[in-house]
Amino acid sequence: MRSTPIKYSRTPSTSLSGAAAPRSSTPVRGRSRPQSQCWRKTSLRFLPLVLACCCLLAAGCGGKTEDGTTAGSPGATGDGPAKYTFAVIPKGTTHEFWKSVHAGAVNAAMEIGGVEILWKGPLLENDREGQINVVQDFITRQVNGIILAPLDSQALVDYVAEAGDANIPVVIFDSGLEGPPENFVSYVATENYNGGALAARRMGEKLGGKGDVVLLRYNPGSESTGQREAGFLETLQKEFPEVNILSSDEYAGTTPESSLDKATQVLNRHREEIDGIFAVCEPNATGVLQALRENELAGKVVFVAFDPNTDLTSGMEQGHVHGIVLQDPVAMGYEAVYALHRHLQGEEVKRRIPTGEYVATPENMNTPEMQQLLHPEQFQK
Amino acid sequence: MTDSPAPSSPKQQPAPSVPARGPAEGGPRRHWSLLGSVVGPFLALIAVVGLFGAADSMQGEGGTFLTVRNLQALSVQTAPVAVAALGMTVIIIAGGIDLSAGTAMALCATVLAWSLKEDVALVIRTGGNVQSAAVDVKEAEDRLTEIDRNLSAADRQLESSGLPAPRRERLQNRRTSLQKEQQELQTALPVLQQRLSSMEQQSATWTRFTPAVAVVLAVATGCLCGLLNGVIISALQVVPFIVTLGTMTFYLGLAKMLAEETTVRPDRATQVPDWLTDFLSIRSHAQIGGFPLGVWLAILLALLLAVVLRYSVFSRHVFALGSSEATARLCGINVARNKAAVYALGGLFIGIGGLYQFARLSVGEPTAGIGLELRVIAAVVIGGGSLSGGRGSVPGTLAGAAVMAVIASGCTQLGLRNPVQDIVLGDIIVAAVTVDQIRQRRLAAG
Amino acid sequence: MTSPSPAAKTSAGGQPATGQEPAALLDMYRITKRFGATVALDEVSLQVDEGSVLALIGENGAGKSTLMKVLSGAHQPDSGSMRLDGQPYAPAGPHEARLAGAGMIYQELNLAPDLSVEDNIMLGQEQSRWGLLSRRAQRQAVTAALDQLGHRDLRPAAIVRTLPVGLQQLVEIARSLVNQARVLVFDEPTSSLTRHDTLHLFEVIRRLRDQGLGIIYISHYLEEIREVCDRYAVLRDGRSVGSGSLSGVSEEQLVSLMVGRSIDELFPQVPHEPGEVLLRVSSLTRRPLPTDVSFEVRRGEIFGIAGLVGAGRTELLRALFGLDAVERGTVEVAGQPTAASPAARIRAGLGFVSEDRKSEGLALTRSIADNLTLSRLSACSRLGFLSLNRQRQAVDHWMQRMQVRAAGQSQPVGELSGGNQQKVAIARVLYQHASILLLDEPTRGIDVGTKAEIYRLMGELARDGHAVIFVSSYLTELLAVCDRIAVMSRGRLRAVRNAADWTSEDIMSIAVAGDEGTADEGTNAGPPPASPAPTGHP
Repeated sequence: MRSTPIKYSRTPSTSLSGAAAPRSSTPVRGRSRPQSQCWRKTSLRFLPLVLACCCLLAAGCGGKTEDGTTAGSPGATGDGPAKYTFAVIPKGTTHEFWKSVHAGAVNAAMEIGGVEILWKGPLLENDREGQINVVQDFITRQVNGIILAPLDSQALVDYVAEAGDANIPVVIFDSGLEGPPENFVSYVATENYNGGALAARRMGEKLGGKGDVVLLRYNPGSESTGQREAGFLETLQKEFPEVNILSSDEYAGTTPESSLDKATQVLNRHREEIDGIFAVCEPNATGVLQALRENELAGKVVFVAFDPNTDLTSGMEQGHVHGIVLQDPVAMGYEAVYALHRHLQGEEVKRRIPTGEYVATPENMNTPEMQQLLHPEQFQK
Repeated sequence: MTDSPAPSSPKQQPAPSVPARGPAEGGPRRHWSLLGSVVGPFLALIAVVGLFGAADSMQGEGGTFLTVRNLQALSVQTAPVAVAALGMTVIIIAGGIDLSAGTAMALCATVLAWSLKEDVALVIRTGGNVQSAAVDVKEAEDRLTEIDRNLSAADRQLESSGLPAPRRERLQNRRTSLQKEQQELQTALPVLQQRLSSMEQQSATWTRFTPAVAVVLAVATGCLCGLLNGVIISALQVVPFIVTLGTMTFYLGLAKMLAEETTVRPDRATQVPDWLTDFLSIRSHAQIGGFPLGVWLAILLALLLAVVLRYSVFSRHVFALGSSEATARLCGINVARNKAAVYALGGLFIGIGGLYQFARLSVGEPTAGIGLELRVIAAVVIGGGSLSGGRGSVPGTLAGAAVMAVIASGCTQLGLRNPVQDIVLGDIIVAAVTVDQIRQRRLAAG
Repeated sequence: MTSPSPAAKTSAGGQPATGQEPAALLDMYRITKRFGATVALDEVSLQVDEGSVLALIGENGAGKSTLMKVLSGAHQPDSGSMRLDGQPYAPAGPHEARLAGAGMIYQELNLAPDLSVEDNIMLGQEQSRWGLLSRRAQRQAVTAALDQLGHRDLRPAAIVRTLPVGLQQLVEIARSLVNQARVLVFDEPTSSLTRHDTLHLFEVIRRLRDQGLGIIYISHYLEEIREVCDRYAVLRDGRSVGSGSLSGVSEEQLVSLMVGRSIDELFPQVPHEPGEVLLRVSSLTRRPLPTDVSFEVRRGEIFGIAGLVGAGRTELLRALFGLDAVERGTVEVAGQPTAASPAARIRAGLGFVSEDRKSEGLALTRSIADNLTLSRLSACSRLGFLSLNRQRQAVDHWMQRMQVRAAGQSQPVGELSGGNQQKVAIARVLYQHASILLLDEPTRGIDVGTKAEIYRLMGELARDGHAVIFVSSYLTELLAVCDRIAVMSRGRLRAVRNAADWTSEDIMSIAVAGDEGTADEGTNAGPPPASPAPTGHP
């Protein structure tokens, strides 16, 4: 994977060498010096500003070495020019999930060769305007393609269209986008409905087709979790008619804390009847697991979670968690980059690319495949 | 500024020195400092643009930073913060602060989105809207079919023999109650249907006013938020920082309540008017003279405010209030009323800012304003506004807002990572505040 | 002074104290201190002998406090030398100065109000052993210091906040004594003390003097100085202009030394004739100050109000101007009652020049033009918008009339000198067409020349039919400028007399008297100028 073709090392033009950081740092810094000196002469007042700008340059050069690399290899100075520059815009940059997407994207870029990945999300998760700005800036920058996980299915529509105006193809991943489908090339994501269905089957199987279960919803208006919830409920009704749904109208909120509170309430109310519980996303599952433990119901109530974390994985080892529906973020990044590249090569690309859903159980969790999904690869500099 | 006399090098103590200097040197020095306070923020802007432009042009393909397209993109990215920051400039000049600006702005955007979605003009006119009327009809119809189904099921069961008596009786009872409900619904349905059709007719006349009413409501919400802040601050004489810290959460709660804790999404095709969709769009069809309507409006607002700040009596009161509240009182200025007016004016701009935010997001998101107030305040401070009051300028604030947009955009286009962007922005703010302090000290020494 | 001659002599000519004559305890020799282009001290010399009290006098800004800051190590002199107890003395900072034996007692006390007397006295010089406070050693040092002051009764464990101001000051003095101070500086120590406490303080000072300390006493009150000091040194514009023994020097001589000109030059007289009553104040009361104040002021009259700091003079003016809500009492202007708000009182013709020029009187960051017109912007505006042209013309006129020296009318007021700032503050009141001027310490902290200008202006205003109320702590100027003078103490207006019928001793004795004072003498409006002389004091 890492073997980058030597033939690209002699670049025909230096135009892109700026992308490879160590080179660019010298000229930029060199230029700043006379500038700042002449400022100091004009006025001491701007000294702090000058300092800040120097800081910007220094930080800038540092930052770029780490991130602006072509996907070739870390010592990418010898690399050929990237034929394509792809901007990958996640919903946030701090969550592990996105780091796995990043890893997948970089893997694909290295396989293809000559693709540069620019990775940049909004400063805060949930900052729609920040994400819009990032999209616009990459359009200005005239990247070859944009891979976007829209924070809002509606707010980003116009700006994806704007990319279309500038002839920049867009691949959507993770969450859907409204608006005319011709605005983007492909939608690469988990089949959330199917994920919910998988959870329902695991639940039904574990309960032996009989019992009372609770569905803890995420937050009103969230599309992906809504699909999971629908998939879960409808599959249960269809395939396990004798499983009774005790409650399906409680929203656990977006944080583990709020989920803990809500789950505790629900468990108290249905303590006598409850046989199973499904939490539709990772923060909720974390809260529910804790609630189960605090109520001494862990292991006694069948618990199916969605998305892994270390807490849930170890909970599964202890027998407190009976199933975790897994997505494949690495595949998401990987498939998205490939889809965009194929599109640019003039090849046909599927409108919808599912990235697969899996269920980890105490029985299969130690198989290599499940281990890889439970502990997905993360991007490292 | 160490402009004119060479000997006054920074080595000497910057202690009191003025009496001797006053008349003789004051002229040139004063002009410099005046020029500095106006030009300073723009120098910062030019410096930042130059830096990013230079770095960008070195990264190949000739660079895209110094292009018209980027200027357009930057202008629309700056506009929402800039508009809110105009109001904040007045508040900060008056020695106040408004931490609720961000959430109030999101509240205004949510009010706008909600009004569009609910077809507010029709609601005001008729007390309802087509959607809800249609839902009522549909619910009634659905219920009727369900009753039909239940009735026939009950009939079938009754026909079958061998039903135990108590069970049969229960079924009978159920059947009568269902029939009663059926009758009621059948009489109610035509009324509902008529209501729907009349609603649809009325909608043909009234719905077209909805966008205007919605905008007015949103801006009025902003004014009210500001006025509330101002009244609390001047009536209770509590520090603005604390009051607005409280109302910040209060407005967030209001917005969440209005939005029912989710995002308000008016239908883009039917409910959001075109001019609003294009308000801050830089797609070619939305541009008027190179920029969308919203950018022109922001420029107009800035000009208006600049004129007001330079020529109005009100502005003199505001400046006096900010530089010394005691002096203002001494000069017979009604401090409480002026403060309330200042915050209400700030609220007006926040309301307009809400319009910008909605235009940019096309949804009403109650939480979209969290943290925004700090960017708004930062714009004023970078632009030379002083948090101790008495100083701030419209061009400075615009430059300050632009500096932040340029940094964010430049970092993205250079492929710099988020942490770098955070650090650079933080540096710039600290630098701006330092400059403010230096100025302040120089004046205090005088 | 080492010279035995009692006559005043300039000390700049003196040789450094060496050799034959007995050296002074403290010898400051040709101290020069510059701030930028300003020379704050120009070769000032000063000597303090063992067991003597030196009065350091001079106008505000004459350099007294700068000189004392050099002594206390807060400033380093640019040139010159100091010797303390015969040793070269060049403290790098206040702490070092304290250790070397130079103690300072300021007007504002530097105490931690929530600590005990003992802790305050030992603050920064705690006696400790292995990092633990050594209570016994501390207690010993504190008791010794209090003993030295003649105040064994002051409980070391008492919390300072609970003590009256007079005792708090003793704590401050004791703090210097535990350092074996050789020279003590008292900077306006009596300004917040009652007469009783003042007398007590003088006793303490004499006691310390008799123990062989050298004492520098700074005060505005020449009367006080005569009570407690032996010698004097006068500073003017950063120079020593005279020193010597106090005996045989008249008050006028001292004043003219301080101001550098004759009394007539300092207090230019403009003839003016009081007319009909313009302002009538009846039983104005506010908690805690002032209490039941009634008086009248006429057109063309300068009405002085004397009293100690804290007597309620400023509070009276603020209440009069509507700045603070009053409990009861009315203010009538030309027979018409007025509403109690600054705006209404401004409309009625009152104008207030605050004693706190920097934080209340002026908006320092704003331009001269804005400051000058702030209270009557309506005159140069239409429909809420200013005519900058008209504003400029008006400001030009008043800047010329008041001879404000500035780079231009858009210069921030904060950049002006104190005198010019005060001129702007007064110009604003005149611009707003005030017919009754309330001037609260208008000459504080400004140079002599400007003072004279302000006195002349007050005379001219009276001549032109204005009424001027003039509050000052500086009796000399009150006596020289006013037509009538009222004395306040503890919130009440005690006595009103024609200026000619007052002596400064009379004023002081009423000002410090408190409740048992001479309330009999016309708390009502004083009689017109031609009234018979009041009873009692000759």
